[in-house]
Amino acid sequence: MDPVKIIIDGKEVTTTKGKTVIQAAADAGVAIPHYCYHPKLSIAGNCRMCLVEIEKMPKLQIACNTQVAEGMGVLTQSPKVLAVRKAVLEFLLINHPVDCPICDQAGECQLQNYYMEHNREASRFEVGKQHDRKKTIFGPNVIFDGERCIKCTRCVRFCQEITKTDELAVINRGDHSTIALFNDSVLDNPLSANVVDICPVGALTDRDFRFKVRVWYLQKTPSVCPGCSTGCNISVETYQNRIARFKPRINEAVNSHWICDEGRYCFHELTGGERLTTPLIRQEGGLVPTTWENALHAVLAGLRSAKAAAGVLSGRNTNEEAFLFAKLMKKLAPGSPLEVCYQERELNETQKILMSPDRAPNFRGARDMGVGANGGYGSWLEKLLAGDFSAAYIVGEDLLGSNGAGERLRAALQKLSFLVVQDIRLSETAKLAHVVLPATHFGEKEGTYTNRKGRLQKLNAAVIAPEGALQDWQIFLRLLDLAEEKLSYSTPSQIFQALAEEVALYQGISYATIGDQGIQLGGGGVEQS
Amino acid sequence: MEKLLLRNIGIADSHTLAVYQSRGGYQSWEKVVRDMKPAELIDEVKASGLRGRGGAGFPTGMKWSFVPKDSPKPKYLVCNADESEPGTFKDRLLIEQDPHAIIEGTLIAAYGIQSHTAFIYIRGELVAGAKILERAVEEAARAGFIGKNIFGSGFDLDVILHRGAGAYICGEETALLSSLEGGRGWPKVKPPFPATHGLFGCPTVVNNVETLAALPWIIERGAAAYAAMGTEKSKGTKLFSVSGHISRPGVYEVEMGYPFKKFLEDDCGGVPNGRKLKGVIPGGGSMPVLRPEEIEKVNLDYESVQAAGSMLGSGGVIVMDETTCMVRAASNIARFYAHESCGQCSPCREGCHWMEKIFHRIEHGEGQAGDLDLVLNISGNIMGNTICPFGDAAAMPAAAFIKKYRAEFEAHIAEKRCTVRTE
Repeated sequence: MDPVKIIIDGKEVTTTKGKTVIQAAADAGVAIPHYCYHPKLSIAGNCRMCLVEIEKMPKLQIACNTQVAEGMGVLTQSPKVLAVRKAVLEFLLINHPVDCPICDQAGECQLQNYYMEHNREASRFEVGKQHDRKKTIFGPNVIFDGERCIKCTRCVRFCQEITKTDELAVINRGDHSTIALFNDSVLDNPLSANVVDICPVGALTDRDFRFKVRVWYLQKTPSVCPGCSTGCNISVETYQNRIARFKPRINEAVNSHWICDEGRYCFHELTGGERLTTPLIRQEGGLVPTTWENALHAVLAGLRSAKAAAGVLSGRNTNEEAFLFAKLMKKLAPGSPLEVCYQERELNETQKILMSPDRAPNFRGARDMGVGANGGYGSWLEKLLAGDFSAAYIVGEDLLGSNGAGERLRAALQKLSFLVVQDIRLSETAKLAHVVLPATHFGEKEGTYTNRKGRLQKLNAAVIAPEGALQDWQIFLRLLDLAEEKLSYSTPSQIFQALAEEVALYQGISYATIGDQGIQLGGGGVEQS
Repeated sequence: MEKLLLRNIGIADSHTLAVYQSRGGYQSWEKVVRDMKPAELIDEVKASGLRGRGGAGFPTGMKWSFVPKDSPKPKYLVCNADESEPGTFKDRLLIEQDPHAIIEGTLIAAYGIQSHTAFIYIRGELVAGAKILERAVEEAARAGFIGKNIFGSGFDLDVILHRGAGAYICGEETALLSSLEGGRGWPKVKPPFPATHGLFGCPTVVNNVETLAALPWIIERGAAAYAAMGTEKSKGTKLFSVSGHISRPGVYEVEMGYPFKKFLEDDCGGVPNGRKLKGVIPGGGSMPVLRPEEIEKVNLDYESVQAAGSMLGSGGVIVMDETTCMVRAASNIARFYAHESCGQCSPCREGCHWMEKIFHRIEHGEGQAGDLDLVLNISGNIMGNTICPFGDAAAMPAAAFIKKYRAEFEAHIAEKRCTVRTE
């Protein structure tokens, strides 16, 4: 990488050969406004918003397509540059409907932002805006408003270059140009909703999020997608203590700028339904509410007296929870087989861009903590079906709802002398339990996940759990406490410090240093399935 | 003056190989293939001073020399026969009446850059021309001028005729390449330039029909003979398509540097019906209009026309007499550019339509105070800020009409009607 010195607005900046002016400027903290440029897509050069002055060049140049050269002088704030930004914005707005009050993009719209930054003048365009389609459904997740579109073609290039599925195209000419589905295609590729994220304006909106919340009310929490073990970095965006949407967070080591549609919308399935807010215990006639104290004592007694207990953890439980669960089961039912729920499915090539074959974001971390060294979830399930266990502790997973074994599994679960289910809802599996413990979901938790490739990443609580439910780690701690193993942890951070001392692979890592981008365990990217 | 480009025009069956050969056709090609090294050919064309006749006037030999010689990729020569500049019909004449001159020029150019596949991209509307060219290519191939091992030299060259689909922008060389690749006729962002990354990402030269048609003569008579004609920087001869209010409209071949006024009055017979000249566009619809007093001392060469504030462009001379409503003329031209803007980049896509709307309302008696300055401002905001020269081509004439006939525009706005038209 040859270093190159350029001068941006009078300040010397060292960059590398091969970079463009827009990249070098961004690295130096100088934001050059742009619409069509996207670091992960080819250069289109069509919006003309990034025009800058390059010394000794007669015409303004687009920063996105100008390579740096030694000694190059770049002006991003000269009168000529400021004037052209104003002009380009005026052009982009003449046919724009300015329907911000009903536009989901308002508040995170680059037309709004740049207009406020660089223009702030009334339009001189008076009559006859070009009209276009206002609500064309492009696919299951994406809807198009042609009037708001600025034809930057980011969405078209995404479908050509990232997913290689080519659903979108530009049609017509001049100011009738617009984006449309190519022939009879439907924008339903596994990454389709990313076009909404990269649309700089309100032309492409998310059918799931549309008209739900004004974006300025959203609280944003950096976290990790619970959809699968790829561990895409996300921002969990909430309104009034509900998750409103997931947005990708950039992490070049994991998901770059993207997330898949399955992950994007998985929070509905993972958080919906009526929440359990009190422990339940089985009495004659069914499950009835009880106190935490009664419920936990019953669990303790049930597991201790079991001849052959077994435990299964959800792939969405954190490392800290898995660490405590392993400890707890060792204490209450030594030698009992523990597994993390893990099942694979076939993926096509486009799915494989981001998706992992499982739905268990932390299966690898759970195994690292000692949950799952017994031949895998499949054989664990076989043993359960074969009646090898007399008691089971099922955490966070509706085995009946998620498994094809159906009636056989139901019969096996019914035969258990003791079943405790810890979940957020009264699932089909929970309905068979002797004790049901109300717990929390991924969005209410803090802790760490270890992705498929061994990257340790941090999960943050985005919403507050309902009163009456406890964090899984709190439940495990209280059970350990009752079992007279006194552990004085009061936060996931403290549990992590403890596991970092005990689990070799995690040694030397401090919770505070994991940060928003995670840490690769063992220094390399080891594949594990 | 001896005709170079029009030497076969008007001769019976000039479009056939027999007639073309009877007049010395394909001897230059044979000479090039048998006796010249590509570098020698490029030097010869450089020495001739031949410049691109599509409108930009870029030195042809230099354009060829930008093609990397050591590239492992195939190289392409493309003949731009997408003539669609308003007021320009010179290439069409050559295509229909002297197609073999174009083909011979194409072969010579392809040899210069060592291309083994040449394309002729012809405007879709030139249906007859396409048929004539297609037949001529077949004839030349049958005669062994195109194909494998030409003249026993070991040099292979294929020529493929491709018809456009009717977009003006496809005359712009990178839009032409996009279209030829099978994509939307969108100009490409430069750099990289076609010389290194052209058709299908391979080194490519795009030359205009008239440029290529000049090559056989240059090879036959030598670069010096060509360079002896014209001015210091504008060499040789140029075709002019003359239309509008002129006694003898048509295609003329003129030595570069010929006095414009003399050309219009003597060669073309001047403005008919005893009317006075009001304005003339010298280089096709994209170029600024000139007032009669501005052409007094102008000569027909790149430098002189540019010094007068316009450009030689394609040589499409549009003559307007005193009965012409300049508002209507400007509106007509603006409508063309609004219709033909490809829509790729923001200033052109939005600006061309905006200007057209304003011209339209002035023309129809709905103009407002401030409209003229608004158009000048919009054209200024388009100029130089677009992906391809189309933006300039739309902006320049718009601004020129207003600047040079402002009083007429103001009268149109004030009186809400045309104050000129007598027809």
